[in-house]
Amino acid sequence: MPSAATLRLEIERFLENRFPAALTPALRTLREVVETGIAEVDELLQGGLPVGAISEVTGAVSSGRTSLGLTFVARRTAEGRVCAWVDASDAFDPESAAANGVALGQLLWVRCGNGQAESPAKNKPARGGMGQAGVGQAGLGMEKRPWTRLDQALRATDLLLQAGGFAAIVLDLGDIAPAYGSRIPLATWFRFRQVADRARSSLVVLGKAAYAQSSAAVVLECAPPRLRTAGETVLRGFTFTVRRGRERWAPVEIGTRKPGPPTTDFGRWGGKPPASAWDAQAAWETELRA
Amino acid sequence: MSGALYACAYAAEFPAQALLRLQLDLHPTVEDLSVGTPNLTAEPVAVLEGQAPEESVCALNQQARRRGATLGMTRLEAESIGGLRLLARSAENEAAARAVFLECAAQFSPRIEKVNEREASEGAACACVLDIAGTERLFGPPEQLAGRLRTALARVGFRVSIAVSANYDAARMKAAAGRGIAVIAEGAEASALEKLPIAALGLAEGHAETFALWGIGTLGELARLPEAELVTRCGAEARRWHALARGAAEHTFQPLEPEFSLAEFCAFETPVEQIDSLLFVGARMIDCLAARASSRALALAAMDVEMKLEGGAVYRRAIRPALPTADRKFLLKLLQLEIGAHPPQAAVMALRLTAEAGPSSKVQLGLFTSQMPEPSRLDVTLARLKALVGEDRVGAPALNDTHQAGRFRMDAFSLAGGKATPAAGRPRMALRRVRPPVPVRVALSPSLSAFSSRNGGESRERPDVRPAAFREGENRFEVVAAYGPWRSSGCWWSDGEWDAEEWDVLVTKADGASAACVLIYDRKQRAWRLEAFYD
Repeated sequence: MPSAATLRLEIERFLENRFPAALTPALRTLREVVETGIAEVDELLQGGLPVGAISEVTGAVSSGRTSLGLTFVARRTAEGRVCAWVDASDAFDPESAAANGVALGQLLWVRCGNGQAESPAKNKPARGGMGQAGVGQAGLGMEKRPWTRLDQALRATDLLLQAGGFAAIVLDLGDIAPAYGSRIPLATWFRFRQVADRARSSLVVLGKAAYAQSSAAVVLECAPPRLRTAGETVLRGFTFTVRRGRERWAPVEIGTRKPGPPTTDFGRWGGKPPASAWDAQAAWETELRA
Repeated sequence: MSGALYACAYAAEFPAQALLRLQLDLHPTVEDLSVGTPNLTAEPVAVLEGQAPEESVCALNQQARRRGATLGMTRLEAESIGGLRLLARSAENEAAARAVFLECAAQFSPRIEKVNEREASEGAACACVLDIAGTERLFGPPEQLAGRLRTALARVGFRVSIAVSANYDAARMKAAAGRGIAVIAEGAEASALEKLPIAALGLAEGHAETFALWGIGTLGELARLPEAELVTRCGAEARRWHALARGAAEHTFQPLEPEFSLAEFCAFETPVEQIDSLLFVGARMIDCLAARASSRALALAAMDVEMKLEGGAVYRRAIRPALPTADRKFLLKLLQLEIGAHPPQAAVMALRLTAEAGPSSKVQLGLFTSQMPEPSRLDVTLARLKALVGEDRVGAPALNDTHQAGRFRMDAFSLAGGKATPAAGRPRMALRRVRPPVPVRVALSPSLSAFSSRNGGESRERPDVRPAAFREGENRFEVVAAYGPWRSSGCWWSDGEWDAEEWDVLVTKADGASAACVLIYDRKQRAWRLEAFYD
């Protein structure tokens, strides 16, 4: 009596010309993920943000995008790796980064915009200041002509991805209006995805909207925060809400056990919660507790 | 048979020879040399050293010696000798002549040791010892080599004596004491040195007097003394004197290492205006520098670029890769990016590249090491990023040692120091800075109906006043909640003084958009500004 394995092999050999490996389950790629450092978000993503792919963190100003990005970078630098922060609006705050645990020496910060380099052929004075942007630069209004900074940010990201070796690259378009960000050609995002995959870098895009479309492996949508206060004078922190908008490569369950029936309202998400809430404390709270 | 063979070339009266060598007939006949005719010049010459009026004779030629001139004579004494030509000693001239001397000797052996000045008559002579072991098939037997060496040195203006021996010190002392060519057979060093005066050892004055009292005047007499007794009376140093006198002293040969400098220079016939043309020449120069460094198992650790520009200006830049490298393409790319980012302001007349050599970088790769950028590629990437956004806008952020908010500096980004550290705890509130901060017009608490202007800060002295709304340009933002103030001040002793109140405010816009931001009231300038947004 031939064994099941022998029978399977015989059948596969018989059908080899028409159906290669007919009875062998197709291999599914397990995407490597790394923790973001926020347990609630990791639970939402079933592990963390993917390596070698584009992840988008979208939302309005004060929705926790930067905190999420910094926490992720902090986790990567804590592993002894180097990361890069491409800052399209020159809004990065080193103090916040340090408070979140980012090893600043392992972070390459590229400040696009105001200090635009002079062209070698033309000795134009460096563009100055605030005149071009106003408060809109920081997110509440519509900025005028962000093309130069956007172009610089995209080119810098391209260079960093091509260089390889950066565990995480954060492309911070958090203050770029969606009207401009959505004009980034899809070919650019497709190229970024390919290079990120080859370089094993996590490209995290912070923006007001999702721009990378199908090139993004994960899209997280952040909502305006709830304030946590102490009395009328102290702002102790925020409670952010984040929702999973898109997940291209859902992690695969290893094993044959089928998932049980949904026990919560999250059943339509395949057992995963569609949204999570997480807290960001004030930096001084650490010192107080210490 | 030890296999060692040394030839010592000794040029006596070197200050005089250095001054007169360029006045010689540089192609003397062999007969002239063999008969020992002093061909330096036809007239007696003495060289004076020291500051006037305490000058003394430090070197002289044979004609001067025949006229009665001696070493150490004062200028007055030398001037009293009729027909004696007095010259001043020239250190530059001697240095140049010494270089020529060594270069000429290097034609016969790559291993040359320069005899130190104390042993070479306190600088009044120039001597070098060549390791000529194994050169028989090139230059013939030692006698022939010595002859050719002496002829070659004579052609460049030096009259020398040559001694060949299997013992380094025997060759050196024999050459210093003798004239012409002397070849000492192996094992016959003691007999060859037997007649040399004991002064050949270069003894201190006290020891020389002791030997004079003992009646020891030659190396042979010294060699015949019992070694143990000699050491007992004169100390441990006497053991070496005894070995030298017997021609059995040991010596570790220390060949001269020619100074290794990496420099290339190119002057252009016409001023070069195109960077591409400049790089075309630069590529070739880098090629040569890298090849020269590689031939010594070295790499280029740094490269200085110097250009002479039209109009007399000088352009200088430095290129310092993260790791020493001999990769021509990589260095050329760095040069291109550097020149591209900082183009010269005029056409280039000459280009000089000077490089510092460093050990070739060795990186130990591992399966379990963290993913890091490749140093050479990172250099190029950083240079490109700097060209793209600006020199000072790429780097690693670092916090300044101050309590003033928003202060930082940019350090150069490097891969050194990347160590795994414990992960941070809970996430913290992060800010997005508004650079530079935007001045805003703030309406204070509802009890104050009017907007306070920038200079209307006098009302801020009331403790219960809070921001109620602010306006920036056309936009008006209503403050839903305001937390603060947090006061900070510092640097009151300097120009960088600050004194500010910080408010955390939650604002909404007319279209319903809301945000949490940081407002600052500058107590010094009495002005409000929007500093950052929470995100």
